[in-house]
Amino acid sequence: MATYDFLFDGLGLRAWCGEKVSSGGPMTMAELLAKKNTGSADTGFSLDSIWSLPFPSLDELNRACPEFVRTRDMTKGVENSFLGFKDSLKVVLDPLTQPLSWLLEGALYLFGATPWWLMILFLAAVTYAASKSVRLMAFVSGVLLFLAFIDHYHFAMETLSIIFVCAFLCVLLGVPIGIAMSRSDRMQKLMIPLLDMLQTLPTFVYLIPLIFLFSVTEPKLYGIAIILYAIVPVVRLTDLGIRLVDQEVIEAANAFGMTRRQKLYGVQIPLALPNIMAGVNQTIMMSLAMVVIASLVSAPGLGVLVLRGIRNLELGVGLVAGLGIVLLAVILDRVTKAALARVNASTSVGSH
Amino acid sequence: MKKLLFAIALGALALPGVARAECGKVSLAEMNWASASLITKVTEFLMVQGYGCEVTLVPSATTTAITSLAENNEPDVVPELWINSAPLYTKLEAEGKVKKATDVFSDGGTENWWVPDYLVKDHPELATIDGILANPALVGGKFHNCPDGWGCRIANDNLIKAFEFDKHGMEVFNHGSGETLSAAMASAYEAKEPFFGYMYGPTAVLGRYNMVAVDMGPYDADIHACNQTVDCATPGKSAYPAAPVLTVVTADFAERNPDVFDLVSKISFTSQGLSQLLAWQADNGASSEEAAVHFLTENKSTWEDWVNDAAREKLSAIFN
Repeated sequence: MATYDFLFDGLGLRAWCGEKVSSGGPMTMAELLAKKNTGSADTGFSLDSIWSLPFPSLDELNRACPEFVRTRDMTKGVENSFLGFKDSLKVVLDPLTQPLSWLLEGALYLFGATPWWLMILFLAAVTYAASKSVRLMAFVSGVLLFLAFIDHYHFAMETLSIIFVCAFLCVLLGVPIGIAMSRSDRMQKLMIPLLDMLQTLPTFVYLIPLIFLFSVTEPKLYGIAIILYAIVPVVRLTDLGIRLVDQEVIEAANAFGMTRRQKLYGVQIPLALPNIMAGVNQTIMMSLAMVVIASLVSAPGLGVLVLRGIRNLELGVGLVAGLGIVLLAVILDRVTKAALARVNASTSVGSH
Repeated sequence: MKKLLFAIALGALALPGVARAECGKVSLAEMNWASASLITKVTEFLMVQGYGCEVTLVPSATTTAITSLAENNEPDVVPELWINSAPLYTKLEAEGKVKKATDVFSDGGTENWWVPDYLVKDHPELATIDGILANPALVGGKFHNCPDGWGCRIANDNLIKAFEFDKHGMEVFNHGSGETLSAAMASAYEAKEPFFGYMYGPTAVLGRYNMVAVDMGPYDADIHACNQTVDCATPGKSAYPAAPVLTVVTADFAERNPDVFDLVSKISFTSQGLSQLLAWQADNGASSEEAAVHFLTENKSTWEDWVNDAAREKLSAIFN
């Protein structure tokens, strides 16, 4: 006799429930061990039965009524519905995400085919252009030369190319979304739970089903993984930055008769730029944090070395590759911070 | 008088402890894949219900288990250790720290390159490696390789060189993890797309989908031994042998608990039997515990030979 028999008998659903088969589905360990205590008849209500009252969960209700769906039937249902409409999803999503594949393949090829001296010179030049600091340029060159010295150059370049593409796309997509969020309270209410979910949902949860949608051999799989995780800071901080613009300045802009678009490009975005740049900085950091998970879904780069170190128990390999990721994070952080400082300096009051 | 009664009371309290001391504490590794979890649950059940042991399950994986055995002499029992991925085992066995209890897969684990059965039905030449290399486009043009850090990655990389994949236009895709490899095989089969890659068994994915093992020619022990080392100068063509998969115990445990050591030395499954169990588990959405119960209720005659007489009596109370 199951605990919740009374529920179904009382509601008159016994006929619908059908005959209770002795093993409705796989027998659990608890049921098997219960066969040992065949003598104990459950006689009515007792204090003990209140204490050990089972929650009326799907499985518990199924024990009373075999027609009732179990939790495993529910998860199977989710799986079947996903497999059912994945083909139609594929038709829509494949062309949308194909550019991501091309960009990643192109970047990987470019960063890999360029000779090391050209690459390091180019990156040093970019650093100087962004930060106008000779010390920083020397530091960045030093780190890259060090990584090349310990035979990690190729892996570092693969990781760097993936990060560049993903961070670029995050900013390209994230800033407009953030701007849209800042203009509409309703959209913000909609987006915040979505952003929370993107940041906390374990990546593997949606990555394995994604393998059924896209092929795992395509770079877009790990590209999507990185972008979905790393886009959140830039969206949030753009929204925050624009909303934090001083209301008096907005009033002044209104007094001057600026249109919405003029206000956006002339007042709001320049004043929100520090926050936006902080968002970009955080996005780059979070992309780097995803490197190892991306390697779990076949992304090349330093993450592969970390995984090799973990699996083979070669602690040194894992530690050194991890250190390489940290160094890349440090140089990207310094460069974006220096660029941010220059942006701050140029937009601060007092230049006229 | 009071003292006597007190002593008798204490003695009575100690009795259950004495009854328990027959087996004591056992730490049992539970690897993080389906077949190992099932075997562990069966072993745990027999130990607890038959021998009265206090079993602690230790979630584990191949590398972590062998390291733990090497450094900490723990856990006591490690079922389903794939020796190819844990070369440290041979050294530990030579040192006398660990002992092989048994081949937990009686016919060894299978390692193979696979193509789906619907491909072979339409193109019978794809059942051999030469046929595949002559028509790489028919199998999708890509070989799905093991992730870095698996023993099979080294062997596969050498075999790829030996079979000259590049000359035949066969690309190689190196997976990042075992999960993506199984998911790629599953998704290809579900969509009836071409697939060519490595998989080991018994696993749920091989039990669920009908894949055909590619004929790689005969097995040569010397060539394969060289293929399994990273710096093999002359990789050669050889099929995979059945992989040795053992249940390993620490030497200390074998000494202090000979009854349970005897039990563990007898627990063994055929590859086919285990694959069927795993397929049953997947079809019924069962947990490994439920699959273990299914095995125990359906195969009484098998496991009754594993346990000693005292345990058999205790267990018959449950399985009447």
